[in-house]
Amino acid sequence: MKHLATEEREGMSTIVGTVTHWVCGFIILYGAYIVLYGHLSPGGGFAGGVILACGFMLLMLAYGKRRLVAALPLSTASVLDCVGALGFWLLAVLGLLIGGGVFFKNFIPHGVRFRLCSAGIIPLANIAIAVKVCASLVLVLVALSVLRVKARGSDEDFVTDIDEV
Amino acid sequence: MVYLLCLVLFCVGMYGVLTQRNLIKIILSLAVAESAVNIFLVLVGYRARGVAPIESAAVPHGTFAAAAVDPLPQAMVLTAIVIGLGVLALSMVIAMRLYHRHGTYDITKINELRG
Repeated sequence: MKHLATEEREGMSTIVGTVTHWVCGFIILYGAYIVLYGHLSPGGGFAGGVILACGFMLLMLAYGKRRLVAALPLSTASVLDCVGALGFWLLAVLGLLIGGGVFFKNFIPHGVRFRLCSAGIIPLANIAIAVKVCASLVLVLVALSVLRVKARGSDEDFVTDIDEV
Repeated sequence: MVYLLCLVLFCVGMYGVLTQRNLIKIILSLAVAESAVNIFLVLVGYRARGVAPIESAAVPHGTFAAAAVDPLPQAMVLTAIVIGLGVLALSMVIAMRLYHRHGTYDITKINELRG
């Protein structure tokens, strides 16, 4: 059998691509479940954020870096990183301003136990943390694998060519 | 008894750090040792015949605090795992930069300080 040329093909084989196409949405859904039920069962913001980042990494491993950048551009990931951190800070400051003088106070009414909408600001903090962790991990993994360091002879050495991605 | 297994795992990680020549293997052995420490910290909070520290509608609230294992080491270890992730990512980036500079991952050949 003739070998297909692999220089122009990004990512992995057709089988991996097909399975990824089916499974990737479920991984994102599972990560969102872990985040949203973080106050009821084990998980929370960090674990759910890692699972979400793994979903995006699966896109990159199976299809190549262009598919990842099409799904989540690096500038968007950078902005989401800051949005997650600022959202967490905003929740804490709102606890200070609205809740009555204590930083990071749980000012939303706690609600009925063991329901999805309960426990005050904890689900919102989980969402903020998950957004930040997912964006950060995608950026870290892209920086480790996709970005290149320019050669020593060029005018800007040790600058990664982020514009190409 | 389980603490001895944690010690064995930590020694495996330390053996890897001390004897391996490939830089990536050294970093991975460091991650193994870090996992051993995290497991040990979680095991310290164990209580005999204790339940997982997750409240649910089935567990009566009054006896929950007396019957559950200590959740505080678990929360601290979660933070420690995140810190370990950050350290691992940074050390991998440093290893890649060393590879770009010296052309090898072999630590016996990376012995020139360059500017």
